[in-house]
Amino acid sequence: MSAYDAIEGGKSAARPETSGWLARAIHRNGAGYLFLAPWLIGFFCLTLGPALVSLYLSFTDFDLLTSPEFVGAQNYVRMVTADAKFAAAIRVTLVYVALSVPLKLAFALAIAMVLNRGMRALPAYRAIFYLPSLLGTSVAIAVLWRQLFAADGFVNSLLATVGIEGPSWISNPNYSLYTLVVLSVWQFGSPMIIFLAGLRQIPADMYEAASLDGASSRRQFLRITLPLLSPVIFFNVVIQTIEAFKAFTPAFIISGGSGGPINSTLFYTLYLYQEAFSYFRMGYASALAWVLVIIIAIFTAFSFLTTKYWVHYDD
Amino acid sequence: MTSTRIDRRRLLGTGLAVAGLPLLGARRALAQEGGNIRMMWWGGDERARRTNSAIDRFTAAHPEVSVEAESMGWDDYWARLATQVAGGNAPDFIQMDYRYMFEYARRGAIRPLDEFLGEELKISDFGDVNLDSCSVDGKLYGGNVGVNSFSVIFDSAAWQEAGVEAPSFGTTWDGFAEKCAAFTEGNVSSRVHATADGSVQEGLFEVWLRTRGKALYAPDGTLGYDAEDAGAWFAYWAEMRKAGSCVPADVQALYKNSPETAPLVSGRSVTDFAYSNQFASYQLLVPKELSVVGAPVLDGGEPGQYLKPSQMFSISSTSDEPEIAARMINFLIREPEGAKLLGLDRGVPASPEIREAIIPDLDETGRKVVELISNLSPQIGALPPAPPQGAGEINAVQIRIAQEVAFEAVSPEDGGARLVDEAAAILERA
Amino acid sequence: MTDAVNDMPGRGSAYPRLNSTLRHALLIAVCIVMIYPILWMLSGSLRPASELFGGEAGLIPSQVTLSAYPDGWFGLQVTFGRFFANSLIISVLATIGNVLAASLVAYAFARLRFAGQNFWFALMLGTLMLPYHVTLIPQYVLFRELGWVNTWLPLIVPKYFAVDAFFIFLMVQFFRGIPRELDEAARMDGCSAWRIYRKIILPLSMPVLATAAIFSFIWTWEDFFGPLIYISEMENYTVQLGLRSFIDSSGTSSWNELFAMSILSLVPIFLIFLFFQRLLIEGIATTGMKR
Repeated sequence: MSAYDAIEGGKSAARPETSGWLARAIHRNGAGYLFLAPWLIGFFCLTLGPALVSLYLSFTDFDLLTSPEFVGAQNYVRMVTADAKFAAAIRVTLVYVALSVPLKLAFALAIAMVLNRGMRALPAYRAIFYLPSLLGTSVAIAVLWRQLFAADGFVNSLLATVGIEGPSWISNPNYSLYTLVVLSVWQFGSPMIIFLAGLRQIPADMYEAASLDGASSRRQFLRITLPLLSPVIFFNVVIQTIEAFKAFTPAFIISGGSGGPINSTLFYTLYLYQEAFSYFRMGYASALAWVLVIIIAIFTAFSFLTTKYWVHYDD
Repeated sequence: MTSTRIDRRRLLGTGLAVAGLPLLGARRALAQEGGNIRMMWWGGDERARRTNSAIDRFTAAHPEVSVEAESMGWDDYWARLATQVAGGNAPDFIQMDYRYMFEYARRGAIRPLDEFLGEELKISDFGDVNLDSCSVDGKLYGGNVGVNSFSVIFDSAAWQEAGVEAPSFGTTWDGFAEKCAAFTEGNVSSRVHATADGSVQEGLFEVWLRTRGKALYAPDGTLGYDAEDAGAWFAYWAEMRKAGSCVPADVQALYKNSPETAPLVSGRSVTDFAYSNQFASYQLLVPKELSVVGAPVLDGGEPGQYLKPSQMFSISSTSDEPEIAARMINFLIREPEGAKLLGLDRGVPASPEIREAIIPDLDETGRKVVELISNLSPQIGALPPAPPQGAGEINAVQIRIAQEVAFEAVSPEDGGARLVDEAAAILERA
Repeated sequence: MTDAVNDMPGRGSAYPRLNSTLRHALLIAVCIVMIYPILWMLSGSLRPASELFGGEAGLIPSQVTLSAYPDGWFGLQVTFGRFFANSLIISVLATIGNVLAASLVAYAFARLRFAGQNFWFALMLGTLMLPYHVTLIPQYVLFRELGWVNTWLPLIVPKYFAVDAFFIFLMVQFFRGIPRELDEAARMDGCSAWRIYRKIILPLSMPVLATAAIFSFIWTWEDFFGPLIYISEMENYTVQLGLRSFIDSSGTSSWNELFAMSILSLVPIFLIFLFFQRLLIEGIATTGMKR
């Protein structure tokens, strides 16, 4: 503990001098790759091969049951020129990402902040808030969601008490996508836990000092909580965005695999799945997958570019 | 005769492209030789219990044979089967669906069974119809596990309460609409409608087309109907919707091709449409007693229905033990010992002898289904032409367009034109 | 210090003073929304099948029967006890692998400097982006070549090679929040990278390690697609595969049994959650040392 105590003094601890820089750099390189080794092995032995195969298949006509046939860029061309369903899937997915990610994260952060304080029965609340996420992708979700959002479901019986007659949310093409957004927000447990863990890392004495200085709670939130939590917020934004782009199971189980009614819940990966396994076009599905990778990569790269403006690392 | 066995290990070395193997010509000399086969089917736990006990009976009688059984729900089945076939690890014994059979057979993933006929497979008493319905391009690709037909299911007490005679065999399309309108008149609850919206049901659309002398597909694999037919179909149901006879669009849109999502089960209609082997599943989920009859007919029209295999047992083209698999198919569908254990769960047995043998054990629900199949005879027509590749996708398009019409995004007429256009594009691509 | 952890007076005063009763009332209201569907599932496991989908969405069954629990537990060829044991073994092994491997790799990305670092990091994030449906078949061929089909290995071994970039990225973000002065000082004391990882990074990262362990366990427990593709013998089934065995959308399903076993399947992961969240909270004990 003595080393820690010495450091607690503050940021004035001396930086190491730069003599023997080259030797140290080599030393550091070796250590880095040693720690990286598990991932490198996994990447080259398990991940890379199948990914390259799928990239190759995206340039073929592959019906799963007979050998793939090389067709050049035909799949990609078709996607952008002659596929109305592709456009529908893109639209649905973008709406889903744009709504579910901010809502889910805002909700998760708000609840995490409420839970991060001295209250009785906190573990119980935390556990209950995490319960929906435990249900995960269970087939039971499809039934539960119908119980909530069908014409005579729970939501409408609540609305009826204030005299509103609601539609069948889950099966009306105008609203069905939003019930999936609600499902995503309802399962806000994972980002909430990550936020909680992040809040735990913020030293309590910083708030104390700020309080003594008379800073308002809003100011404390903006000046302490947000900056110190920003790496975690950034993580959640990136991950939730990727996950939302790739969302499959909710639409699959709730629409019975159809993406209906009228393609209103045709998530991109659901469309991809249909192409691959219902219509025997794995080649086309692979092309769809790689286009999705490009779309997600652009979003992710963009998020990383913004980090220097709002994400504060200690290093 | 030497046995030609596929070296699976070596095949795997070729990676992905193992699927389109040449079929193996040579047959094993000793049909009674033992071996191990893998069997895969879709279904719930009830079907698994029945099938497993039949497998146990089979392996008890043939101790030289061992069977590994795998089962899962329909939704997961096809992705898993395709992965295994493409991954060079196809199960020997595969439960097939009518439409998927064409996809798998035409691509050489399942093998023709003609060579086993009269030997391992003693199913000649199934009759030509039940053999033809399991054939692709003149070759038999599956043993018919159960005869099936499209049907109308209803709660007869509810019809009685409304003071209307329930639909019966021989009710015409117009008569059906009139009955539903009369039901609506005598009905007090705005929640309950006379019938589900049948416009999304491909099986019902097919019957309707056939009564008009058309079909889903022509023998040359093109579409068997035109925009006018499809438009008239959507218009029939648009009228029903307007009259309040069938459930509104958003209630029907809850239906996901599974019994628990059907309007009849959710208590929103007293009549619904399903294949006859699903009748028991519906009855389980509904507290009232259900009846089942054939689909409506057309005055002076053609017979609309046909007997279709609810599912069939097929053999992988890469199976090392096709004879054993064939013997097991025979045991399950043609020998009373095995067939009795399967019961009616997969449809009514095609063999008259087996049908007779299982009737005494049937419950009330089962008896109704067997009766339906016998009473249907006047409405049974010839087998329709085989569905072309892309038929599954066209089915999905029909559902989508029927919903667009129901939600009034397009008129019935335009919907018909759209269906025909999109279907033609799919057929051209396939 | 321990008292400070439990009562957290500093935190309490940092936020607007909201009436505690009101706050609880609000939380309870949210709780009800959260658990309504689970209550419905519980009631669904107790009522007759013919009442499940009839529409009137009440929570109270007209008659209560517990039979779905024994029927579900013993209803398949193998009892659910076996599935629970299988899932437990797989989840524990996968969790250990994930936390170990991901923390090593994350340490490299967050704290060490090496050539090509950004390139590998981008590539690692890239592995998150490809939908698994299109790598399914080549991966199946790969695992079949290795002779791993119908074993648990495809579900466990990859975790020891940190194939799930989520955990790496998560830990990278947290490791970067640990003050650098700590390892600089330790390095000056002559500590190796390994010792810094063991003695500084890991002990200071309990919240994120607990988080990763929770997610890893729960997600492995819930994983359905992996087991579906790779496990065929029922003896080897996981709980999720067992649950799906009750359902067939094309025919007869045993919904009561599904609901009953779904409720039971939540119990272990709920307990795991309760256990690990204690670690998550204890993590705060270390934060007093920051800065």
